[in-house]
Amino acid sequence: MELIGLANYALFMAIFIGIYALLALGLNIQWGFAGLFNAGIAGFFAVGAYTSAILTSPAADGRLGGFELPFFVGWFGAMVAAALIAWPIGKICLRFRSDYLAIATIGVAEIIRLVIKSEAELTNSARGITGIPRPFGDLPYVESQAAYLALVIAVLAVAYLLVQRQFNAPWGRMMRAIRDNELAARAMGKNIEYRRLEAFIFGSALMGLGGALFAHFNRSITPEAIDPMVATFLVWIMLILGGSGNNRGAILGTAVVWIIWSMSEIATDQLPHEYAVKAKYIRLFLIGLMLQLVLRFRPEGLLPEPLRGKGRADEHSPS
Amino acid sequence: MKSKFLALAGGLLAATALAGAPAKADVKIGLIGGVSGPIAAMAPSMIDAAQLAFQQVNEQGGVLDGEKIVGVVGDSACNPQGGTDAATKAVNIEGVSAIVGPHCSGAVLAAAGSVTIPAGIAVVTPSGTSPEITGLDDKDTVFRTVPSDDYQGRALARTLKEQGYEKVAVAYINNDYGTGLANAFKAEFEAQGGEIAGFAAHEDGKASYRSNLAELADGGADTLVIFDYGDGTGLTILRQALENGFFEKFVGGDGMKSDAPIKELGAENLATFVASSPVGEKSDALAMFNDAFKAAGGDPDAIFVTTSYDAAFLLALAVEKAGGDKAGVPAALREVSNGEGEAILPGEWEKAKALIADGKAIDYKGAAGDHNFDAAGDVPGTYALFKVGGEGFEVITEMK
Repeated sequence: MELIGLANYALFMAIFIGIYALLALGLNIQWGFAGLFNAGIAGFFAVGAYTSAILTSPAADGRLGGFELPFFVGWFGAMVAAALIAWPIGKICLRFRSDYLAIATIGVAEIIRLVIKSEAELTNSARGITGIPRPFGDLPYVESQAAYLALVIAVLAVAYLLVQRQFNAPWGRMMRAIRDNELAARAMGKNIEYRRLEAFIFGSALMGLGGALFAHFNRSITPEAIDPMVATFLVWIMLILGGSGNNRGAILGTAVVWIIWSMSEIATDQLPHEYAVKAKYIRLFLIGLMLQLVLRFRPEGLLPEPLRGKGRADEHSPS
Repeated sequence: MKSKFLALAGGLLAATALAGAPAKADVKIGLIGGVSGPIAAMAPSMIDAAQLAFQQVNEQGGVLDGEKIVGVVGDSACNPQGGTDAATKAVNIEGVSAIVGPHCSGAVLAAAGSVTIPAGIAVVTPSGTSPEITGLDDKDTVFRTVPSDDYQGRALARTLKEQGYEKVAVAYINNDYGTGLANAFKAEFEAQGGEIAGFAAHEDGKASYRSNLAELADGGADTLVIFDYGDGTGLTILRQALENGFFEKFVGGDGMKSDAPIKELGAENLATFVASSPVGEKSDALAMFNDAFKAAGGDPDAIFVTTSYDAAFLLALAVEKAGGDKAGVPAALREVSNGEGEAILPGEWEKAKALIADGKAIDYKGAAGDHNFDAAGDVPGTYALFKVGGEGFEVITEMK
């Protein structure tokens, strides 16, 4: 193994962590701030990925596209499209309480996935979209990955700073108040439906951005990438493990889960050859086990939600 | 708690470092497949078949100066996330010379786009059938030993027309495999003057497809063409179509040529069922593989095992031809299978090695076809139409 190989692998993991951290941040706005149980992350991820793909890829027969716009237009378009899709969904679904909302959003994500998988004119159906340009994609392997990582980090840093600022601002306090005691917040004259919709749309836009970054990194997007397992539940595990309600926790959880997910395969490869195929399942088991342990011994996550004012003195654990 | 996790991550890093130090004088080839995920049932035999090729190479003197080939198994989970992750590890941590796989088209596209094309590593997928792979800007590093769905769909359409099928309905699974086959079939069948009386995708894993079938039967066709997997949803569709008498005759793609329908439904009920499947052009090549794979405890009729074996054996030949130079493997891959030179059949490693050492041209004739790659790295493929007989599937005719 050469050093350059390790560097490549580290860069690759960092890029993936950055992309998934965007998804986790988006979910943190929805669940951590506003208490909205969105189980349809894959849907907004997909809308973002495909929007950016259609906007930036070269023309192809039989599907929409060929605009060949610069990548940042695609990324911005991804956020707008995800937000636009989130708006009517939120309008209808946010009337439900937590677990009903979860069911409704799973359904919505599944509808989006099936539309993408079936509409050849829009998304090239099950074959997916290829030829998506990657920024700095013409550089050699290592440089290209390093440059892309720099982009991802820049995007993530901006997203983090903005979300963190909102969290500490009056808006963040209000969202937590709505989450923790809806009636009290309503009694104080807060427009709960509207505020929830805000959180839902902002979170979804970030998820769309994550999807766009993912598509450009792989230079392709296919319906297999928006499987709920890898695009919804994995993100939930990351957020719960890292600490919902804490933006740094969301990013840390993403890093921990992805590192364990990816590196445990290298460890299991040390088993004898006859177990090579079976050993792959140990990874799935490890992630499940970690979630169980965290929920049992540290339900607030690795980095718990920071408490302020009286809450800090009382140390009552928020939901 | 945080420090504990740091310790854990550190431990894993240490394991990585240990894992990374390869035993000297081994040539590694990545075997990236959908071990977990939707094709988990198919992946193990495909990986076994590829390992069989490496085992034969190692038993017959190994590559280069007697070095062993080691197959490094990676899990692509049949999605782009897993595919890129496994490919990155194979290329950068294990330092593989080439990769067999990934198995699913989406994983192939993503892994090629973000890892193997920039790194210049040869990839041969034994089961990524999406026509999108043809159009990849791949600097000639992405190959496959399985024909594009486009090809099989068209060949099947022509053959059916010749066999006297005039009016058919098509049911296909809604993924890249089914969509690719069905669209190519439809285009060619209509071009040949046939009539498509029903054309509908279905999602996999449902309990009942009776409403889908009833809708397809409304078109008045007596033949149902099914592009699906015979050990999955395709079996359910076939059973329900037979039980309810929606159609009289049935046609399947290579996914349907599985033993599951015969075992589940009985050969006597499948008298009107035919299926297409890739076959080796030189029939003794297939027989040689079948014997070797049976002896190794595998099932040679399992889907995509022949293409997996061929991909692995071809890469071993290419590594030998390139003299161990990773960057030369893609070019060497074309040289060992371009239709010119002495024929090499599955398992004939010693002969091939001697010929390469003498600087003579060789031409691999594989279990799943001749594998003369075209400009895009695709193979045309050789197909035959099978019917169900007393001893399992029997060839009716070659497909052109």
